[in-house]
Amino acid sequence: MRPIRGIVLAVVLSLLMGVLAACSGADNNNAQKDTSTSDGTNATELKGEIVMWHSFTQGGRNEVIKKAAADFMVKHPGVKITLEVFPWGDFYTKWTTGLASGQVPDVSTALPNHVVEMIDADAIIPLNDLIDKMGRDRFYEAPLSEVTKDGQNYAIPLYSHAQVMWIRKDLLEKANLPVPQTWDELFETAKALHNPPEVFGLPVPMGTGDMMATRFLNYYVRTAGDTLLTKDGKANLTSKAAIDGINYWVKMYKAVSPESSINFKVLDQATLFYQGKSAFDFNSGFHIGGVAANSPELLDVIDAAPIPRMNANDPLPAVETSNTPLVVWKESKHPEVAKAFIEFLYEKDRYIEFLHSVPAGMLPAVKEISTDTAFLSEPTIKKFSHAVEVISEAVGVGTAVGMEYGPAPQSGLLTTQNVIEEMFQEIVLKNTPVEAAAGAAEKKLNDLFEGLE
Amino acid sequence: MGMKRRWLGNSVSYIYLTILAAVATFPLLWIISSSFKSPGEMVGSPLSFFPKEPTLLYYDRVLNVLNFDVNIVNSIIVALSATFISIVISALAAYGIVRFFPRVGKVMTRVLITTYLFPPILLAIPYSILITKVQLANSLVGLVITYLSFSIPYAVWLMIGFFRTVPLEIEEAARVDGANKLMVFYRIALPVVAPGIVAVAVYTFINAWNEFLFSLILINSTGKMPVSVALYSLTGAEILDWGEMMAASVLVILPSVIFFLIIQNKIAGGLTQGSVK
Amino acid sequence: MKRYRRLLQTNATGMYFILPAILVVVLLLIYPILSSLYFSFTTKHLIRPQVKFIGFENYISILTNPDFYVAFANSIKWTIVSITGQLLVGFTAALALNRIPKLKGLYRTLLIIPWAFPVIVIAISWKWILNGVSGFIPNILVNIGATDELVQFFANPDLVFWTVVAVNIWFGAPLFMVNVLSALQTIPAEQYEAAQIDGASSFQSFWHITLRHVRVVIGLLLVLRTIWIFNNFELVYLLTGGGPADLTMTLPIFAYNTGWGLKQLGVASAITVLLLIFLLCVCFLYFKLLDKWEKEDEM
Repeated sequence: MRPIRGIVLAVVLSLLMGVLAACSGADNNNAQKDTSTSDGTNATELKGEIVMWHSFTQGGRNEVIKKAAADFMVKHPGVKITLEVFPWGDFYTKWTTGLASGQVPDVSTALPNHVVEMIDADAIIPLNDLIDKMGRDRFYEAPLSEVTKDGQNYAIPLYSHAQVMWIRKDLLEKANLPVPQTWDELFETAKALHNPPEVFGLPVPMGTGDMMATRFLNYYVRTAGDTLLTKDGKANLTSKAAIDGINYWVKMYKAVSPESSINFKVLDQATLFYQGKSAFDFNSGFHIGGVAANSPELLDVIDAAPIPRMNANDPLPAVETSNTPLVVWKESKHPEVAKAFIEFLYEKDRYIEFLHSVPAGMLPAVKEISTDTAFLSEPTIKKFSHAVEVISEAVGVGTAVGMEYGPAPQSGLLTTQNVIEEMFQEIVLKNTPVEAAAGAAEKKLNDLFEGLE
Repeated sequence: MGMKRRWLGNSVSYIYLTILAAVATFPLLWIISSSFKSPGEMVGSPLSFFPKEPTLLYYDRVLNVLNFDVNIVNSIIVALSATFISIVISALAAYGIVRFFPRVGKVMTRVLITTYLFPPILLAIPYSILITKVQLANSLVGLVITYLSFSIPYAVWLMIGFFRTVPLEIEEAARVDGANKLMVFYRIALPVVAPGIVAVAVYTFINAWNEFLFSLILINSTGKMPVSVALYSLTGAEILDWGEMMAASVLVILPSVIFFLIIQNKIAGGLTQGSVK
Repeated sequence: MKRYRRLLQTNATGMYFILPAILVVVLLLIYPILSSLYFSFTTKHLIRPQVKFIGFENYISILTNPDFYVAFANSIKWTIVSITGQLLVGFTAALALNRIPKLKGLYRTLLIIPWAFPVIVIAISWKWILNGVSGFIPNILVNIGATDELVQFFANPDLVFWTVVAVNIWFGAPLFMVNVLSALQTIPAEQYEAAQIDGASSFQSFWHITLRHVRVVIGLLLVLRTIWIFNNFELVYLLTGGGPADLTMTLPIFAYNTGWGLKQLGVASAITVLLLIFLLCVCFLYFKLLDKWEKEDEM
């Protein structure tokens, strides 16, 4: 009974509306003309409420998005945008449970690994029309292909960053040591600078509920020329590169990491660097903003360097690039509003303001902005021009973890299920032999992957 | 037996209680103290108790930037609604059982305890599906409904014990005067069990104020989160700010502690009077 | 007597009194349990719509999963140790409170403060106090020379479980204390005086009078707390998330990770059903004991 009654009601209502519209047509047209002339753009006025989820929890980024939403609502009085902010750590749970309970937004940020899972769950819609409208060739190829399946672009890249090594120039100078080029040099240098509790050589984060250990292992495995996921989508933790990598990080943990880093998530890890307590760290350009907020006096002594490799003369390592995109959800009742708002975010001044809210942390996804003087003239970006250069080079060659052979839904499970983090904890805390722990973790991941079909 | 032994016993008791009191209150005092420390002092001098340069910075940020006041209001609405509904439903039910179905009373008590056995995590799965089906996901109403699952069985159980102490004679007298059953319940029986109602109110309010799991699963928007989940989401922000977490914790815990201290004499007997015969 | 019975049994109006509660119990407890039971035999997934009936497959996969037994053993250990600690601290505190002549109210007030803590605040404040870098306790231990390095309460594999247990005792002891205290206060003083006249030692009067009086209250508290602690998800999840290396992994967290992490709601339902069956058995035993005690008290 219910659904039928609902449909009847809807039909009656829409008929009624039609009649009403026809009756008062003249007035309506006048009113519409007024608004469209005053704002000078759209012929058909946008209407509807949309919800946007994003993970820009603090500071400038949140403000820029808020302002953009407010401006958009002024421009389109029929539109209401509600913004919801979730930290990245909660984001995965939020959208999966949200999808289960029918509580998803209209538009949201995402991570490429999530996008693949969202496509798999048939939760988001292709944005080819929007990308074509905005100019397909303005976007870089790699970030787009990460979110493309069967020719459909399911997301639109918003910004990019890449993982690089962060160094403390002052500590290196004082110890009279060069920037390490290889993994072995990094270990030795970190050991030399290790001076707890003032400074730790290099904290090795292994907390579950995060993907930090996976990330660290991936750095090593990628520079050894291997991958954590094989071409046919199987976990690959028992390769020589992976075993060496696990051993390397366990050795590093025991030598120069605070004991508590066994539980570290991205924030705990980053906070130590922000406070000047890590001699080395790995992260993106976001580190600059964090240091600026916590210990501005350190801004002059930090810098980025390429991720170490096996041998000093190896080519620039292709490691991890994150292209954060926006997606539009299938459940959305107003995809046209969502798309219009996305387009609005990319308008040059607003887009640059957004990128500048975390200077050097977010590199443009739109080609012409990368070289635009308005973007490059920001003081922090100028000050950290070397770091920006290092990051830009890394962005160009890296991929998301597990996506070296193209978009793979397995990469989502690889980075969200904490299997590698648990493996590290087993090895460190329970003295499980590395080969055995790696074998068990590999099997666990492959079992999980079977559930994907 | 002698005074000496009594004196010794008392001294040991005082020492023991003083140690326990220090352990019991330290976290509260410490988070209050930490919430006023400047960012540098927070990490720089982990042992100082009195902030050198007290600051309201975190409170300002928590209330004005993170809009934590909205979450506090949400929690108050949810906790009060759940408390009120629980009192009404459980008082009616307990009275009904005691007066009209006395023989099933004991079985009922056991059944009610059994429902207390249900792991919240077990209920969470069907709730997330059920609440969605009735379009109440992400709403405070949905949350209040799920809270009844843990408050009602315990409340009925508690109230049964209290209603048993109401003498039938006074009800009988009222009946003779022509009052109907609902009036007898409302005018005669209910005032007698007032302590039971207080116990139920306290139990439900505190549990609703503190609840975490169902809110984590059912609430998606920051503006609708109760304090527990809003506080949790602070722990995942882009910059780990212990100061903000401390200030928000103080805001969450103060109402709870104050409420507790006011009614502490009432809760004392709650369990013993209510449940033991 | 007859008169009363007529009053009681007159008609079905009694049903109206209990109807709302029955509705709540059926809708919010019976129905969810049945649907969980049903899901436990299916491939119910968090975000995929298709559901297939697969018989006991979920149960088989759980019962052959070593991680399940790790979590199960942890749950039992965590429950027994926590509840023993809570009882000991709560009971001794109640005895001490009951005998002191002055400041009883003040101590009682101070001692119940942990009870007022929301779980999330318990987690945040203890994580801060025990923080491995800036925490008060690790730093004071170094400061007074008790340890050389900052103790890592949440990272040290030998400590983390006991840390979580200690927090749980801190939180749960006041409940025991308050209820035992009010039971102690109902013991008539004459009984002790009579025992003293009979020449009973103070241990004997403690054993025969004090314990005998409060044991039903304690028994009930034990039932309620056993259930609560065994089912508790929040406290451990917020303190450690079950880690590191599964050292604090309990069944509810295991079920949560399976259901919301791996999205396998069917398997998660099966875990929670097993959890419930186990608790039912434990409670059945408890009730047998309580019945025996109650009968003895009536005699």
